[in-house]
Parts: sequence; structure tokens; C-alpha cells
Amino acid sequence: MNGPLLRHTWRSQRLRLLAVALALFGWGLVLPIVYAQFGATFRSLLESGIIPPAIANFGGGDIFTLPGSIALGFVHPIALILVCVFAVGFAASAIAGERQRGTLEVLLSRPVSRRTVYATLLASTFGFVAIAISAYLAGMFASATAAGVAGEIDASRLPLVWLNGLLLFGAIGSIALAASVSFDRLAPALGVTLAILLVSYFCEILGTLWPDAAWLQPYSLFHYLETREILTGSPDPFAFGLLSVVAVVAIGYALVVFPRRDLAAPS
Amino acid sequence: MNAIQTAGLTKHYGHRPPPIHPPFGQPTGIVRALDDLTVSVREGEIFGFLGPNGAGKSTMIRLLLGFLHPTSGHATVLGRDIVLDSVEIRRRVGYLPGGVALYDSLTGEAQLDYMADLAGRRPVLRGELLDRLELSTRTLGRLVRDYSRGMRQKIGIVQAIQHDPELAILDEPTEGLDPLMQRAFYDILDERKAAGRTIFFSSHVLSEVERVCDRVAIIRQGRLVALEDVAGLLARRKRNVEMRLSGPAPVLAGVPGVSALALDDGRLTCQLEGDVGPFLRAIAGAPIADLTIEPAHLEEAFLEFYAEDSGAAEAEPTPSREAGSAAVGEAR
Repeated sequence: MNGPLLRHTWRSQRLRLLAVALALFGWGLVLPIVYAQFGATFRSLLESGIIPPAIANFGGGDIFTLPGSIALGFVHPIALILVCVFAVGFAASAIAGERQRGTLEVLLSRPVSRRTVYATLLASTFGFVAIAISAYLAGMFASATAAGVAGEIDASRLPLVWLNGLLLFGAIGSIALAASVSFDRLAPALGVTLAILLVSYFCEILGTLWPDAAWLQPYSLFHYLETREILTGSPDPFAFGLLSVVAVVAIGYALVVFPRRDLAAPS
Repeated sequence: MNAIQTAGLTKHYGHRPPPIHPPFGQPTGIVRALDDLTVSVREGEIFGFLGPNGAGKSTMIRLLLGFLHPTSGHATVLGRDIVLDSVEIRRRVGYLPGGVALYDSLTGEAQLDYMADLAGRRPVLRGELLDRLELSTRTLGRLVRDYSRGMRQKIGIVQAIQHDPELAILDEPTEGLDPLMQRAFYDILDERKAAGRTIFFSSHVLSEVERVCDRVAIIRQGRLVALEDVAGLLARRKRNVEMRLSGPAPVLAGVPGVSALALDDGRLTCQLEGDVGPFLRAIAGAPIADLTIEPAHLEEAFLEFYAEDSGAAEAEPTPSREAGSAAVGEAR
């Protein structure tokens, strides 16, 4: 890793990171309060048969239990968009964006190898995602404590939830960085990453809502976000392994492709 | 030791055309951005790399800095291989890209600090360069996004040289600078040269190459057309001579170096090449009312090289490579 590049990257993202972290902290506050206030009511509605059973497992979460609420908050589009500010937005533009602006060649004219540049930006991506997820979990735990329902989860399992989230969004970030090193312009890098992300999200959500489409779920990265399972004590280690493999493959691809690419003069 | 040494350096873009094209497909040919370039830049000299847009100047620079990978051939910078030791080369080199792009969200000072940090060397020349290029503390405190093109170029020049690199590679360095700043920049180059540093810069502004360079390489369509001392190049160029006569014209036909002789209503014009002695002896005693001998400009030399090369191109299938090889041989 390169110290000056790392410092420059964090300095340039600090306000965005603060805004995203505050927003996720705020989002984390919401669902435990909703659960504490209306969970029992929703559960009785579900048991009365008014709410279709599929809704009870939207994206691997629900609002009838605290672990379900936390899981639902994680896969909700609001959380997804906020975390993806870094996992997709930052990562996809990290190299393709600099290339498009022409600043990559100023950077690479210094004694920094392309692999070092990549490793520094990868570490930054994981760092930003880690902070974003921490903010969400901190908000969630603060809210659950304030609402008096924190005792319904085993707090010692939260680091595992954090790790699982980090691996999911880290894998997405690694894919975005792999796209970023492959293109000279930001738009295709962002487009490819968003396409993968949306298809993956669609497969998971469709699978949870429609039993006939459940076979699509294993093809979605979001299927391996095991928040509820971790908090209820039955996580699948395969999920951690698979997300790690996806990240490693994307990182390996980038480490091979980026140093070998010809960087022609920006047009 | 040469600061830069290339041997048959070649860069082709694109893919080999498929043996059979699909019915509606476009043929995908190879673009020969740089072809068999052999050139050497001596330590401590200011070397000009001349050519029109698209000739391959930036390709050459990008190969030297490891942005591009050569298709074939070999090159060293400061004795290091451009493929194997790219990072080490960049540790000892300063680079100004053509149309330099800076970080808009940084102030000028933060930009220079960042570049110095990345270089890993103290910016020992920064203060002096800022004074020379008239970049005040107040200016440096402003965001780069508010800078004019000329100010950006000045920041680009400072970031390239501030850490006193052994070799400065400058791509069209005076682009956007006003004449006063251009002069200040030339003075900076002269001082760097006096300090034993090597300057390699590309340009299509011939007057500046003529003003500052020791030697110049001219490339066209990726091939070396000429590599010579600027002084030698100028000395070999034809001078334009014009004289107004108050009597009979001197006999200049057959005088060595004189060509394109024309006489019209007491006004004699010709071109003069090489040693002026025979010409001066021939006009001694002639009734000359006025005499003008225009100094040779590199621009004319440059255009002549291109004209010669174009003419040869019509006759020979691969003329410029031959011209280039001959010029290199001569330079060696």
C-alpha cells in the first residue's frame, strides 16, 4: 500500500464517509423501534393470515423479530444504496474515474506500481464499507437498547454479522474495482457493476417472494448475507466462504489485468 | 551513459485482422503508433522530440514511463529497463503529461504536496520554481478548479521538476504559457541543464526547440525521420538571400551552396546552403544597394525533412525507416 495515496483517498472521501455513516446510523435506529412498537401487532396480523407468508421473509428479513428486523434493514434498498456509495460508487470510479479525468497518469508517473495503487484503493474500499456497516450496526444496537429489546439478540454475535456484511459488500466492491481497472471510462465500469448488483438483488428478492423462483437465490450474492441466521445461532459457513471466494477471484483478476493493460493517452 | 536509449522500440495497437472478415464486420487493422525507433538521449542534454499531432511523441513517452508495453524492441531510462524497472525509473524521473490533469478539489499547494509525497523526495526546487513562474502563496491557496489553463500548466511544470529529478520528461510543456512565462521556463531548463540534469521534451512548437534544445529527433507516423544537433541541422539548412542591385548582377551560377537563383528587375534572390565563404567571394565588388540573408529557422528544416520524407515515400515502400536509420547512424 502507498501511504500518500491512502491519505489522499481518505481525505477526499471524509465528508462523504461521514454523511453515509450518519445516514446508516440513522437508518439503523429505525427498524428496532418499529419492531419494538409494532412487532407484536404485525405478528398477530401474520398469524391471522391477512399478510401473505412470503412477505414474512422479504430478502431474508422480517419485522416480527428483532433479528429479522436487523436483517431486513441490511437488505433494504436504503441501506443498500448507502453502502454502495462506496462499494460501487467509489470503487468503480477509483481507477476508471481517475483515468477518465487524466489524473491517473500523474499518479502513475510517480514511483508507485499499479498493483500498489490497486491494493491501496482496495483497502480503502474495504475500510469505507467496514465503517458504513459499523455505523448501521451501531445505530441498530443503540436503538434496540433504547427500546429495551436489545436482550433479544446475542450481542456477541454482532461482529460476525459485521464480518458477513463486510464480505458481501467487499465482494461487490472487489467486482466494482475489477470493472474499474478494465475500462478507460467511468460509465462502463459503473454500468457493469450496477448490472451485476441489480441482477443479483433481483434474483434474491424474487426468490424470497415467489417460491417458484427460489432456485435463483443461490446465484445471488445477497443470498449469502446471513444476518438473521447469525443472530439466531445457525449461520452457514459456506456463505462466508463463497463471498470470500468471489472477492478473491475479482481481486485476482484485477491484479493480473491492471498491470498488463496499456494506458493510452486520455482522449 | 545515455539517459534514454531505445533500440527498435515498436508499439502497435489493435489486433491482427482475422483471415476471413464476417460479412458485415469492419476490418480491424493494426495501428503502428511507433515503429522501430532507435534513439539515444545523452545525460545532461536538452533533447527535443518533434513531430506533428499523432506522430507518436506521446506514445514514446508513455512507453518510457511504463504506461504502455512495447510490442517489440528494447529501451532503458537512466540505465534501467523500461519493462522490468518501471517503478525505479519513475523514482528518478519527473513527468509533465500533455494537457496535464490535476485534482480539482485540491488547492495548488495541496496538489504539489501530494505529488512530492508520492515521489518520496523533498521538493527542493519548489520555492525557486514558484518564484520563477510567478505563482504566489495566495494563488497556491486557491482550488485548482479555479485555475486558468496557464496556471494549471505552471503547477504541472512545478510538480514535474520540484524534486530535482535526474531526467525530466515534458510533453508539450509550454502549452498555455504566455511568452513571458515561456521565457522563464526556458531559463529554468537552461539551469537544470547546467546542474547536469537531462531534459527530454516533446513539442510541435519549433521555435522553442530551436531556442532550448541541444539535439532534436523528428518523427513522422511513428518513425524516426531525423536525429541531429540543432546547430548542425540549422547549419545545413538553406538561407534565403535577397539583394537589390544598382548595376550588373554578380555571377552566382555554379557557386557552391547557391541554388534557386532568380533575377527580376534589379532584385536578385537565391538560397544559400552550407559555407558562406564562396558566396561572399562571388559577390565581392558587386554593386549591391541592399542585402538580406535570413537566418535558417528550424521550421524550414522541419518542413524540408517532411517534404523529403514524403517524396521518398512515394518512391519507396518503407522510406522513413531508412531515413531514420541513416540519421541515427549519422548521429552516432
